[in-house]
Amino acid sequence: MTNPKIVGFVCDWSVELAPLLNGNRLRDLPNVYVIRVPCSGFVRPGWLEDALNQGAAGVFVTGCPYGDCLNREGNFLMRDRVDQQQRRLQRRRIDPARLAMFAHGLHDREAFMAEVRVFSDRLAAMAGGQATPAPATEPAPAGGSP
Amino acid sequence: MSTVTADSSRYGRFMTGLLRITLRLDTFIHTLYPTDFNPLYYTGGLSNLFLFILVLSGIFLFFYYEASLAAAFESVRYISDEVPYGGIIRGVHRYAADGFIVAILLHLFRNWFTDRHLFSRDNPWISGMFLLLFGGLIGFTGYQLVWDERAQVLTTMFLAMLRSIPLAGDGLAKIFMGGVGIGEGTLVRILFLHIVPASTLYVMLWWHYLRLRHPKVWPPGVWVLLVVGLVFLLAGVIPATSGQPATPAARPTSFPMDVFFMVPFWLLNWLSPGAVVVLGVLLFVGGLAVPYFSRRETAPQMGVRHAGVAQVIDGNCTGCELCYFDCPYNAIVMVPSPGPGLSKAAANRTLLAVILESRCVECGICIGACPFEALELPKFMERDVRIEIAQAVQA
Ligand code: SF4
Ligand code: SF4
Repeated sequence: MTNPKIVGFVCDWSVELAPLLNGNRLRDLPNVYVIRVPCSGFVRPGWLEDALNQGAAGVFVTGCPYGDCLNREGNFLMRDRVDQQQRRLQRRRIDPARLAMFAHGLHDREAFMAEVRVFSDRLAAMAGGQATPAPATEPAPAGGSP
Repeated sequence: MSTVTADSSRYGRFMTGLLRITLRLDTFIHTLYPTDFNPLYYTGGLSNLFLFILVLSGIFLFFYYEASLAAAFESVRYISDEVPYGGIIRGVHRYAADGFIVAILLHLFRNWFTDRHLFSRDNPWISGMFLLLFGGLIGFTGYQLVWDERAQVLTTMFLAMLRSIPLAGDGLAKIFMGGVGIGEGTLVRILFLHIVPASTLYVMLWWHYLRLRHPKVWPPGVWVLLVVGLVFLLAGVIPATSGQPATPAARPTSFPMDVFFMVPFWLLNWLSPGAVVVLGVLLFVGGLAVPYFSRRETAPQMGVRHAGVAQVIDGNCTGCELCYFDCPYNAIVMVPSPGPGLSKAAANRTLLAVILESRCVECGICIGACPFEALELPKFMERDVRIEIAQAVQA
């Protein structure tokens, strides 16, 4: 799998997407489909798992930098929910590294793209990780964000 | 999303410029600190911390202060020179007050420039304007309490401003002085006007926090330590001082003015007292109007879709309270369930979630919280999200 299918939930208030998009996909990484949400906290963790089950190689959620959520709490809550969901995935023998949480502000376009690219490359490297159940490894950190 | 496009007015472009600068500043700070420790994210918490330091040191000073024309200056000197650590505490009170004003101004401008005062956030903004007004009054009366030369000049200027108010002016001045001239009652009144508004600040803070769940009341621990350390260090290195004692005959010599509290008095160099009063009132009223008139763009121009107030799907709600704990605006209340829900999970519920529509900001955080599919944003239905997911994974 060289072009892992990735679904990204991106908060309306975080990184500015207009210059990055081509339709619903990232121009530079067409394997990434972006679903825009009103706040990262809007995402129901069940949807993330559904996306994985329906054939996405990876899912990520992007919110604003921690501490700067427009709704004050959304990204912290989402970070917790993603952590929780990763533990849940692990119990179901799905590699938790396929789920990630990012945090980028309005102008952090480059940092956002770089992080998505790393995520995509890592998924490409794990190709086949879907077929062979992942051994119970340590849960991956929730995205590279501090 | 794109707060940076399609500005029509000059004002809008100006505000967008300020937003960019604010965010650039954040990006720069994030090269120094992890984002959780960005002090600009905690301007409110820092203000609260300074206020707390002020209250504690203020109680200490209150034990020694004497509110009378003859003894006030001497009692302040006694605190500084003879009470053990009195000079330090006085300095702490002084510098924490400066820190307080800096922090609340940063708080005000940051929340203004990043649009965090609009729509349902007008409540914190309006209460914030009152907090600012009272904060200024408290700072001003604090300077008067020392009753040195500077205090006397300030009082004279303030009285001139009061008297310039038409009709009520003379009466107000009389009330302020407790008689026709500055007399024995005056300092008691000033002390009252220092301490009571300070206590009122906490009532207003309750108003300020009213719609916020888990407000960030304190900054991170390291910042608390740093701030407390800094205030004590300053108090030790540069002690707070008084000027010459006030005497009825004293002619105002030069003395250092504190910019933050003293701007109106500094303006008196150029403007008449009446003009300064008018300016102050205009600023305050203008401040109150900011959330309603300073929208740089409409929501569609900002590329933000109107999501609609969250709705509870009665039949599915199990009364688990998860949404109630996660809503950042206290917009969800749990009420005793009028009857069982329709779904199996909801059959034995005792509570039901109800949205207070006037408080809901349509953020959708409750949607992510609810594990029972019992909440929806009308314009972001779960069904649509699922369709999008299906689109995303096909092909
Ligand atoms: S959408 Fe939900 S979480 Fe957000 S303010 Fe409204 S009720 Fe609260
Ligand atoms: S999270 Fe869902 S099920 Fe639980 S109380 Fe709220 S609406 Fe009801």
